[in-house]
Amino acid sequence: MKESVGWAPSLIPDSPRTTDQIEFHSIYIKKSTMDKAPAIETRDLTIRFGGNIAVNEVSLVFEEYHLKSIIGPNGAGKTTLFNLISGQYKPTSGRVYLNGEDVTGLDPASRTKLGIGRSFQLTNIFPTLTVLENVRLALQSKVDVGMVFWHHWRSYTELEDRAYDLLKQVLLEDRWRYAASTLTHGEQRKLEIAILLGLDPAVLLLDEPTAGMSIEEVPAILEIIQDIKAAHNRTILLVEHKFDMIMTVSDTIAVLKEGQLICDDTPEAVSNNEKVQAAYLGGGVKHG
Amino acid sequence: MMINDMTPVQRDRLREQQTKYNRPSFWIQVALVVVLILVPLVPSFRVMDMVAKIMIFTVVVASYDLILGYTGLLSFAHAMFFGIGAYSVALLCYHSSSPQWYHLILAVVAALTLSVILALVLAFFSLRTKAIFFAMLSLALADFFHILGMTWSDLTLGEDGITFSLPGILNVEWSGVNLLGVHFTPRVMTYYLILVAAVFLFMGLLRFVRSPVGRVLKSIRDNEQRSTALGYKTFRYQIYSIVFGSSIASLGGILFAVWLRFVDPESVLGVFSMVDYLLMVIIGGLGTLYGSIIGATFFMATQAWLPDLLKGIAAFFPDYEIIHRIAERWMAFLGLMFIVAIMVFPKGVVGTVREIIDRRKASGAG
Ligand SMILES: Nc1ncnc2c1ncn2[C@@H]1O[C@H](COP(=O)(O)OP(=O)(O)OP(=O)(O)O)[C@@H](O)[C@H]1O
Ligand SMILES: [Mg+2]
Repeated sequence: MKESVGWAPSLIPDSPRTTDQIEFHSIYIKKSTMDKAPAIETRDLTIRFGGNIAVNEVSLVFEEYHLKSIIGPNGAGKTTLFNLISGQYKPTSGRVYLNGEDVTGLDPASRTKLGIGRSFQLTNIFPTLTVLENVRLALQSKVDVGMVFWHHWRSYTELEDRAYDLLKQVLLEDRWRYAASTLTHGEQRKLEIAILLGLDPAVLLLDEPTAGMSIEEVPAILEIIQDIKAAHNRTILLVEHKFDMIMTVSDTIAVLKEGQLICDDTPEAVSNNEKVQAAYLGGGVKHG
Repeated sequence: MMINDMTPVQRDRLREQQTKYNRPSFWIQVALVVVLILVPLVPSFRVMDMVAKIMIFTVVVASYDLILGYTGLLSFAHAMFFGIGAYSVALLCYHSSSPQWYHLILAVVAALTLSVILALVLAFFSLRTKAIFFAMLSLALADFFHILGMTWSDLTLGEDGITFSLPGILNVEWSGVNLLGVHFTPRVMTYYLILVAAVFLFMGLLRFVRSPVGRVLKSIRDNEQRSTALGYKTFRYQIYSIVFGSSIASLGGILFAVWLRFVDPESVLGVFSMVDYLLMVIIGGLGTLYGSIIGATFFMATQAWLPDLLKGIAAFFPDYEIIHRIAERWMAFLGLMFIVAIMVFPKGVVGTVREIIDRRKASGAG
């Protein structure tokens, strides 16, 4: 991922996630994998809706800078698990840890501040605001000018310029001045990723980023995800139904069924796992 | 930086900066202020009285728009905050034997302090739960203050209200000065005080909605869940906006009391004035701020002139009983005019006009 270094030094504290430091980071990680807490960990995470247990004692470890996919049939609890990790739902029991810190009691906004960025299964943008403004708001949230009411919002020029850079990254720069609602569905999904990148989160939760997209639009999203992964500076949690995509992009895959974790392994091991094949209507899981 | 090296965003920003002072909207505002400055030259107290009230209610309605239109919260306590301002200046001036300037300053401090505290209480007790609870609690609080104003007669003189005098050049005893052939009476001086304060407060509100905070409020209105997921604590922003809007309303109340030199519970604390506020903000257009100018003007002008207008028309038809009957029921006529206004401008005047302009622009752009 291309990040421009040194923008807005006055507003944004030096981020460790810049291109020239990635090299350093990956070396550092190799040395210290053993004593470093995982980016995200869930322990016995459970949530009930009435009698229905949507997520049932799920314990998962998301290693830093890895991409773990979460798959499972419809209604398996994937989105609910994301909602528990990002704080939209409070679990009935169990805990969520971010870098070893218990964040179970925190609201979604606080978790975002701590570095959990979230995209949604159903497109979730600000429809009447401009494309640029959608991304600019994500950037504004990072720099703590949100309580300032005596300056004009456009006086924070670096936020706007940075937002435009991010739109370039997802190939949406031509649309910057249009209302987000005028974008095509595929463009809106790209916009969501630009919003997420604007948050600069250490952990990215992507809930079916290609859902509802036409086939031609999928490779662009895949490429963006692969770019993010290649930069090796963010942990990615991905929910997807497109199996080929998952097999190519994932480091590990966790499989949920009826709220329970039935498998958590490498892509090869998961695709050969009998329980997983059974979960998918008894049919063998097709490779890409 | 050369213009060619700039991104479209930077070019747009540059253009906006360069055209800041030669846009029609800027000159319309300048012209408006000039007209307001010249109003006391019109030899009619009625006109000055109406314009002063329009200015005051523009500020009050704009601050209500911040809470209702920009933040999406239905508060029935706005008239209460207005009344708190009005009473703070009335009480301080009335209970001091000769009011001084510092009494006015003290009134501002007292009104702001009390409004901030009450707005915080209102927000903390109700916002975390349902929006409807906020509306209910604000209504209860407003009603309580209305009753307090009526029954605590030792302090407020109850329903009779308080007539008070003002310090210095605002005091009716002051003889005034002649400048350039114009006689500046205490009334005119009070008018200018209101003009300066109203312009200042309105600009403050404009700045608030155009600040980073205003952008977040807008985003919350657009999609609260996304806003939260960006790390914005929506609760905090709602509180911010209620406190800011309510404080401005209390300052508007001070201006109103200073203009009338009289307050009573019905006119400044009455919960029913909320209906007027709602009408004004809806006619102007929710979430536009400028709409409050139109809403307040329309409301004040029709209220002041409609009865006369109807009576005038009726005088032309001395034989038609029915026309006289209608003229006597001018309030019903007023209601009818509001219905028509809302049907012609479903998003308020400013909101609907803006929508038409945007649509034209969009179809022009491609
Ligand atoms: N707020 C809620 N109230 C009640 N039930 C819920 C709620 N949220 C989720 N559920 C239930 O939890 C179960 C899991 O739903 P979830 O959306 O997590 O599935 P999913 O794996 O994301 O499915 P899909 O692939 O269709 O997106 C479903 O049975 C759903 O009805
Ligand atoms: Mg889902």
